[in-house]
Amino acid sequence: MKEVNKEVLVDAASRLLFSMEEREYDTLLEEFKILKIQMEKIGKIEGLDEYPPMTFPFPCEVDFLREDVPSKPLSRDEALRNAGSKQDNQIKLPKVVK
Amino acid sequence: MDYLDLPLLELHKALVNKEVTPFDLAKEALNRAHRDENNAFEYLCDEEALSFAKTLTEPEEDNVLWGIPYFAKDNFSTKDIPTCASSDILSGYVPVYDATVIELLRDKKAVLLGKTTLDELAMGGTGMTGHLGITYNPFDPSKERMVGGSSCGSAASVAASIVPFALGSDTGDSVRKPASLAGLVGFKPTWGRISRYGLFPFAPSLDHVAYFSRDVISSALILDVLAGRDEKDATSSFVPVEKYEENIGKPIKGMKVGIIKEVYDSLSNQATKKHFDSAIEALKNSGVEIKEISLGHDLMESLYATYFVISCAEATSNNANLDGIKFGPYRAGNSYEEVMNKARTQGFSELIKRRFVIGSYCLMKENQDELFLRAQKNRAKIVDEVNKALKEVDFLIAMAAPGIAPKFTQKSDKLSREYLIADNHLCIGNFAGLPSITIPLYLENDMPVGINFTGRAFEEKELFQIAAALEKETGLAGLSAKNKKEGNL
Repeated sequence: MKEVNKEVLVDAASRLLFSMEEREYDTLLEEFKILKIQMEKIGKIEGLDEYPPMTFPFPCEVDFLREDVPSKPLSRDEALRNAGSKQDNQIKLPKVVK
Repeated sequence: MDYLDLPLLELHKALVNKEVTPFDLAKEALNRAHRDENNAFEYLCDEEALSFAKTLTEPEEDNVLWGIPYFAKDNFSTKDIPTCASSDILSGYVPVYDATVIELLRDKKAVLLGKTTLDELAMGGTGMTGHLGITYNPFDPSKERMVGGSSCGSAASVAASIVPFALGSDTGDSVRKPASLAGLVGFKPTWGRISRYGLFPFAPSLDHVAYFSRDVISSALILDVLAGRDEKDATSSFVPVEKYEENIGKPIKGMKVGIIKEVYDSLSNQATKKHFDSAIEALKNSGVEIKEISLGHDLMESLYATYFVISCAEATSNNANLDGIKFGPYRAGNSYEEVMNKARTQGFSELIKRRFVIGSYCLMKENQDELFLRAQKNRAKIVDEVNKALKEVDFLIAMAAPGIAPKFTQKSDKLSREYLIADNHLCIGNFAGLPSITIPLYLENDMPVGINFTGRAFEEKELFQIAAALEKETGLAGLSAKNKKEGNL
């Protein structure tokens, strides 16, 4: 398991596309001290490899195709209503390819 | 007593008899909401609510929700009504569609009055982390004690008798725990029983639509409206719905209830134990067979970490779409990464960022097996043990919380058995997707404490039956901060 240190946490935050202040990392490192002890409680449980990782409480398989039912899609105005930056009926972003 | 203090069925009668109109009710509820001192609301939609209520002139006798005012937690999508999940990242967001539950309630002509505060993005259990600050417990005029979370505003709005019911969501205990702290009935159904279309996802393998009311029969009647398959939610169930209030009042003799030994043993408050014992005695006197169920101390002590790892990991990935481009305030930058970074840095609170980093850490390649996958395997083991127990008994029973609402200044020992088990065991219902209900059991210094039943999947009808039977014994149906009662147990 990766050691918990500031460098690892800064890397995680940067992958998540946000920044944190020094004191926030300090708080997080303190939190991890408790968390690691709590997480060790899972480590103590025996025989877990007999269980498949559980992703949903019940199987929820859908083995049919829905009927095609015509419905009204969002209007262009509705679709763009919450975008903060738009131009010519499209969301406007800084250039991706420069 | 004012109409808004009445239980749902009596209020319905008053509406049918035209003693009061939906418009008058909505107006009075909004007046109370505007005078609210508990910081329960993100947004009140006076105009929409009153104009809709005005159209309701012909009472529908067979529709108990006709003209009934209610609030929804601010993580349900509501068309044209601002919705921000108590987070700055969604400031100004106005949804373009309604959640299925909002649609169902409108079809029944229930009147949505507004949106309630929550712990930011539903990630928290204190009612202290929403972007508008702390939400207070209406039972505590000194404003020193929590109402709990994450569905804090919805709990406060029902406990303060502003509305007879309010929608919340429950990922770990976010309705059933605040129900305990605010003297309410808090119910979450089987996973898949109520559509989650339009509920902002936190951890979808654990998320449930849930709600508060002031008595058990209201809770059953509301499920009649909300339950059912929804084409828009692929995880919603095809199991046929029932008349969920049908068994209420029928004898409970012969039912089997299992006391979760580890929860009982981890309670340190003797008063809590004494009242729990009284509840068990009352059930025995009604002919219920009581059995002690042990799920194992080690397994129970691992609940909290299992929940924390899974929920943080799922949340990290589910909230990746909150980027300041599609939603939330746009902050210009030289690249799309800079735009997103600015929005997410300024939009998320410190707590949320820390939770996302924890989730991301658990998902790192080097940690995935030991943390995330191990937590998922442990979840499978817990669910296996719980389902085995539910072959021996019909319901599991435990205190919903170790005692009355904690003070904001109170520090918990996060490694104590009481914290790890008694304070955090309700997530069992989310792990296994089982229906679960909290009802008020007793009051200590005018502050309520609740007890919880968890039943088998899709056996909500029986769950309401036993919960209503115990509610009758407690004498606490209809409890609210305005209508405090002594209780019999």
